[in-house]
Amino acid sequence: MNWMTFSGPEIFYFGASLWFLLLTFTAKPESVNSGARGRTYLTAIFLASAGILVCLASVHAEGWLFIKAYKVDPFSQVFKTLLSLGLFLIVCICGQMTDIDERRHNEFFFLLFSCTLALMLLVSADHLLSIYLSLELSSYSLYILVALRKRRAQGLEAGIKYFLIGSFASAIMLFGMALLYSTCATAYLPEMAKVLPGMIGAPAVVTGLVFTLGGFFFKLAVFPFHSWAPDTYQGAPNQVAAYIATASKVAGIAIILRVLASAGQGSPYLVHILVILSVVSMTLGNLAAIAQKDLKRLLAFSTVAHSGYVLLAVLVMDASAYSAAIFYAVAILVMKFTAFMVVVELAPDGRNLRIDELAGLHRRSPLMALALLVALFSLAGIPPTIGFTGKFLIFTAAIQKGYVALVIIAMINVVISLYYYLLVIKAAYLLEPARTLPPLVLSFPKRLLAGLSIVTIVVAGFCPYWLIQIAQAAAQPLILGR
Amino acid sequence: MQMEPASFPFLSAILLSCVVGMITIIVIPEEKKLLIKQVSVFFSGICLLLSVYVFFAFNRSAGGFQFVENVNWIPSLGISYFNGVDGFSLPNILLTGIVFFTGVLTMWELETRVKEYFALYFVLVAGVFGLFMSLDLFFIFVWYDVSLFPMYLLIAVWGTTRKEYGAMKLTLYLLAGSALILPAIIFLWAKSGLDTFSFVSLMHPGLFTPSVQKFAFLLLFIGFGILAAVWPFHTWSPDGHVAAPHGVSMVHAGVLMKIGAFGVLRLAIMLCPLGWIYWAKLMAVLAIIGIIYGALAGLRQTDLKYVIGYSSVSHMGVVGLGLSTVTVEGLNGAVFQMFAHGIMTALFFSSVGYIYDRTHTKNIPELGGLSRIVPVASAFFIVAALAGIGLPGLANFWGELVVFLAAFKVYPLFGVIAVVTLVVTALFMLRVVQKTFYGPANPRYAALRDVTPWLGVPRIILVAVLLILGLYPALLFNVIRTASVPFMNGLPR
Repeated sequence: MNWMTFSGPEIFYFGASLWFLLLTFTAKPESVNSGARGRTYLTAIFLASAGILVCLASVHAEGWLFIKAYKVDPFSQVFKTLLSLGLFLIVCICGQMTDIDERRHNEFFFLLFSCTLALMLLVSADHLLSIYLSLELSSYSLYILVALRKRRAQGLEAGIKYFLIGSFASAIMLFGMALLYSTCATAYLPEMAKVLPGMIGAPAVVTGLVFTLGGFFFKLAVFPFHSWAPDTYQGAPNQVAAYIATASKVAGIAIILRVLASAGQGSPYLVHILVILSVVSMTLGNLAAIAQKDLKRLLAFSTVAHSGYVLLAVLVMDASAYSAAIFYAVAILVMKFTAFMVVVELAPDGRNLRIDELAGLHRRSPLMALALLVALFSLAGIPPTIGFTGKFLIFTAAIQKGYVALVIIAMINVVISLYYYLLVIKAAYLLEPARTLPPLVLSFPKRLLAGLSIVTIVVAGFCPYWLIQIAQAAAQPLILGR
Repeated sequence: MQMEPASFPFLSAILLSCVVGMITIIVIPEEKKLLIKQVSVFFSGICLLLSVYVFFAFNRSAGGFQFVENVNWIPSLGISYFNGVDGFSLPNILLTGIVFFTGVLTMWELETRVKEYFALYFVLVAGVFGLFMSLDLFFIFVWYDVSLFPMYLLIAVWGTTRKEYGAMKLTLYLLAGSALILPAIIFLWAKSGLDTFSFVSLMHPGLFTPSVQKFAFLLLFIGFGILAAVWPFHTWSPDGHVAAPHGVSMVHAGVLMKIGAFGVLRLAIMLCPLGWIYWAKLMAVLAIIGIIYGALAGLRQTDLKYVIGYSSVSHMGVVGLGLSTVTVEGLNGAVFQMFAHGIMTALFFSSVGYIYDRTHTKNIPELGGLSRIVPVASAFFIVAALAGIGLPGLANFWGELVVFLAAFKVYPLFGVIAVVTLVVTALFMLRVVQKTFYGPANPRYAALRDVTPWLGVPRIILVAVLLILGLYPALLFNVIRTASVPFMNGLPR
């Protein structure tokens, strides 16, 4: 059967999450020892790295599944590879999850793998219903993951906030999808792409599109669906926050690109709305981040700002913008992960990290300090980093379409964002802790991971051609699919 | 535009020695401070030798772009790794080489966090070199920011007066400049329709419509003008100079501000000549305000470094005035002044550094009579001050003279004002020299030891360069002319 050959990643991740689900049934609650924990962790690492290989093996697959509601093309396969990479990176920093009850580690990995599976389904979804189903599946896993934290009050509060805003957003999305379906009489994206250009000016269509996008805005933390981000990042276990900031964002970018590429062409109203949301998101995110004392909250607001930059690429809606957005998804994955890796390493007990706790980091661990420095400069968009190259690609696409003023606003935002990133860097490099803290001892794999992250950010920023080519290849189906 | 490919990639070799130097420093353990300094001297020495070689090997009769290296980098966007030097960039590359080398020697006595300092210092200089030699707009921007981002740490960690404030202000100001430059670069790229970031392809008169040129020129002029400390965007510069450690002040005032002026020349003026002609009067007004403002503000300062900082604003105003005349002489004088000012401020900060390291003060009233205690160290500062006044026989004289002559022809009133302001500059420079080095000596510093020959090396190099160019300015003018004359001849009128 040929569907087995090209839905390899989905089957693999389904199997992997089933495996962890079985483990949760068999493990005896009383007798969790370090050996069992180590075995679980090694299994997770092994499965996550094998997942990358499976995704790479099926990267050239193409075809449809489930009466054409599920599309496998270079776009989805590249994103699946990115997601598998994201999962692997997150699993790498899950070595000491002191913040999650030891008896729950199997459940944790079960949810992590099933969430990744859902995100993979999402990037392939080509029908409103399959989009909705996979989006909800991923969200439900995340709601529980956020609430898994040992620090009950924080985790539960964050989980409930996340859940309430999430269900609100998905209700709006469902309403928008209903509107779209009622006007287009089809729920297939390619079919809609054929019908919509004739009636894109109709209020019901624009409303339907904007409401549908609301669900993705929630995923990306775009204004006005951003308010969950700071509280959830702060309340969630550090590793889960890292996962939300990386893999979940990547999938969000993918689906918004897929939907807008087929359904959003040619509507000036929609573009105006996206322009406003983009400007508000980046400005609000950057201004709010200035006041933050907690590093995770700061990163959450910077995520809101970055979603604004992504929207800038999305609203341009042409080939170079799509590939720029895909490139930026890679950039977000790498740089956000590096920043969160530092958070996880510096708070081995899983507490929330205040910015002033970074004091003396340059002496305790020069490598971690350097990783933080590079990640933050990359987030700010200073060359030669992958974050800069991503922004550069987005800006070239936008200016080619004539959005010069928008790009200048975005660049002013870059300056604002540099201010608070510099405050963090100042804490790491200048401030001295009140009492001397011992040097941070890092195991060899962790040092390797940090070193590789730094090298990736810099090299991919300086020699991006290879990555740009991949992004262009991945963007190809979006243009042909029209 | 004539282009001569390089037989050997000398320009990339300069960049490479910066990068290899940085990596070597990172690899050396932190405790081996002396070794780190020796390695720094070694690699910065290679950079200096290469830049001197390139300067003298440049074919002055042929002109155009020489030592050209061109490698496709991102073909889909038309970005290439494209290096080359012409008469405008060559003096700046030599300047960077000299200031880099002497800056390393000036920080010879550094003891805190030596490894990080020199590693960041190499990154900074790599960015500066890259910017001067690059002929691709994308890379020009990348190098611009590469030279910016080490600045925050260099100033905030090793600096002195109000260092965190100065560092933050400087970084944000300069990044605000880049926020205007990047859209302008991409805007030009999009409007050209050539799908290339290559400077040489974009530099054709008539490629851009006048309105495009006017708009892009303004963005580029303000963006780079911030870095060149054009009034009213200059306020970061005195604060930044004062806060920075001496070696960084040297690079910063000596070279980094030149990046601003060079960026205005290379991108704004050469790509948008019609915009240049249109906005020239504005440039002249801002420049003249800068000249007067810097001189008057300098009069009131009691901190040695603030004095130099404000004099820099004034002297960079001279560069701006030269650029605003739209004449060959104006361009020649401006580029010459960029070089001369770079060497002079480097000498200033280097000698102040020596005094500050011994006395731990830069406050003029606390010093006094130093010339009797440390005659050699004082002499270096006095030479720099005399150069700042524009004494004949030192390099700055020629730069200012040529600029003022050009300005007299185009803007007679501004020419007069500028020359009058020179008197004010002379006044405050001499006042500083008198109060610091003559008069009653502060007994607290009676036991100071004078500059040893080894520590004197960097200052002697700088003094020698000032003297050589003061006596034989054609050495530099001949090079600059190879770029300025063809450019002005090709200008659409």
